[in-house]
Amino acid sequence: MAEVRIEKLRKSFGAVEVLKDIDLTVEDGAFVVLVGPSGCGKSTLLRSIAGLEPVSDGIITIGGRKVNDLAPAQREIAMVFQSYALYPHMDVAANMGFGLRFAGTPKAEIAARVAEAARILQLEPLLKRRPRELSGGQRQRVAIGRAIVRKPQVFLFDEPLSNLDAALRINTRVEIAKLHKLLAATIVYVTHDQVEAMTLADKIVVMNQGRVEQQGKPLELYYRPANLFVAGFIGSPAMNFLPGKVTPGGVDLGADGALALPLPAGAVPGSAVTLGVRPEHMRIAGTADGLRIDATVELVERLGEMGYVHLRLPSGAVAIAEIRGDVGLGTGDRTSVALDPAHLHLFGADGHRIA
Amino acid sequence: MPQGTYLRLLVFFLGPALVLYSVFSIYPLLATILNSLYSHQKDGSFLWNGLGNFHTLLFDPTWSEPFWNALKNNFVFFLIHMLVQNPVGLMLAALLSLPRLRFRATYRTLIFMPTMLSVVVIGFAWQLILSPLWGIAKMFLQTFGLGFLFAPWLGEESSALITVSLISVWQFVGIPMILIYTALLAIPDELIDAATVDGLNQFQAFFWVKLPLIWPTIGLVSVLTFVNNFNAFDLIYAMKGALAGPNFATDIMGTLFYRTFFGNQLQLGDPSMGSTIATMMFLIILIGIMVYLFLVQRRIQRYSF
Repeated sequence: MAEVRIEKLRKSFGAVEVLKDIDLTVEDGAFVVLVGPSGCGKSTLLRSIAGLEPVSDGIITIGGRKVNDLAPAQREIAMVFQSYALYPHMDVAANMGFGLRFAGTPKAEIAARVAEAARILQLEPLLKRRPRELSGGQRQRVAIGRAIVRKPQVFLFDEPLSNLDAALRINTRVEIAKLHKLLAATIVYVTHDQVEAMTLADKIVVMNQGRVEQQGKPLELYYRPANLFVAGFIGSPAMNFLPGKVTPGGVDLGADGALALPLPAGAVPGSAVTLGVRPEHMRIAGTADGLRIDATVELVERLGEMGYVHLRLPSGAVAIAEIRGDVGLGTGDRTSVALDPAHLHLFGADGHRIA
Repeated sequence: MPQGTYLRLLVFFLGPALVLYSVFSIYPLLATILNSLYSHQKDGSFLWNGLGNFHTLLFDPTWSEPFWNALKNNFVFFLIHMLVQNPVGLMLAALLSLPRLRFRATYRTLIFMPTMLSVVVIGFAWQLILSPLWGIAKMFLQTFGLGFLFAPWLGEESSALITVSLISVWQFVGIPMILIYTALLAIPDELIDAATVDGLNQFQAFFWVKLPLIWPTIGLVSVLTFVNNFNAFDLIYAMKGALAGPNFATDIMGTLFYRTFFGNQLQLGDPSMGSTIATMMFLIILIGIMVYLFLVQRRIQRYSF
């Protein structure tokens, strides 16, 4: 396995820049997930690493070797595609061994490697079937098997779970995580599903409009988002944002009231800020709670052991608060919510976190 | 659904097609086969002759020589289409589907254009081009110092059939091209990406991944070519007339049938023998299609992506 290093990577289609100055290191054996909304450039970045897209500028190295001018097959990568891209006219064994055949690998070794991958993925009974005789989940495993037999330096996954149904998606997610441990593989994985990102990744790279917004450990992104985009993108339901102004003793939220809270060093009194608070850190207030905001209940979603209350604040802003159990609220009820002072995020007018 | 409504719907939806198909296809076919079993008399009446006409056609030298000649020529005509038109169409389709090709629509339109032109126009134009007296072909070759290669291709027995076949190929190459091109477009890009990651170059990806996936289309194109070639008539008639000269070198089943059925110059029209030839054409095409269906198509898999 190997480290992937990307420096100052740029890519344009004509006048449109789809990747702007990407710097990224995928450590040896790491599971890195590229996540972002559609069109953010995450798939293009993955295809650039694979060598399927030429880059305009910058350097890509795999295992210390610059690969910019190498063909995909020479980069020692393997890719799992969203549609699986299995060859319909070949059986499972042929699909998995196809790349090795073209690399001049001896037949006996191809057979051995295919058998090994089939054993790992429990594909042994299916080796003589054609892709059309397989279920979605089986096709998915064949696609992964095709990657494994190549013994690549890096695995590239392009939204591999998006064509599976919900139950299978969770199973396969777990299997991919196990496989990562088993093979000690370096993996770059593209998804737009943040649950996949949070559960699988050693490191998440959040991309937006061709830029890396933030990279870091999943919980780091969750608890210390670097900017408004990451704060809003990671976490479901999304973080609540309340516009306000810094005062000497806290934040003035206008019609929603003034909150007294310890300010980080970078907060300049008088400047406009956005206060971010996740639904789980905004609870229906008890009597003793300090940071309170009045609110009207618009809708209650009960999911069982927990639920969400959609609130209309005095300023007209909408916020979502998490509830535990049944709190006995209904639409139209007036209540107040308490914010957890340990988990508040302040963002400046430029959208960056105020540390 | 009540029985009556069902019947009415059946008649409503199937009726028109059934009527048209019966009147213009099934009836003429059956009438032709029936005609071939009678002998046309000089006084205009018909006498039952059983399979006598077929015996005459196959074994009486006056009839069998032109028949075998036309059949042989027709196979040559078909082979040239299979060996030139379809491979060239495949190649053009492959070139058209190159991702970086510019002016794609222009090429597509230009190559398909001759297909839409009248055969009479094509025949006339090529006759002028190849004319030894004022044809552009001769001057064109002379410009490059290759004038010695020129021959009156349409006028020589040895080359007339090949020349006419190649003109037909030139006219219709757009059809296999378009059919194969559409089939190539249906192959998902990710499949080719996967082949690229597996280490195949463009050419190998075409040969090992795309080609196996378009065999069904190539099979279809072959059947269409076979049927069209054995029903061909118009280009030969337009360029060489019903006598399919020189010395019947370009005579195919269609022109032989035309001369026999309608008569030509000193030859009197003979509906019975004409029908016999038409029935033979029908049988040859039927056998060809059956060979394809039972021997070829069963081994071809269709793929959905």
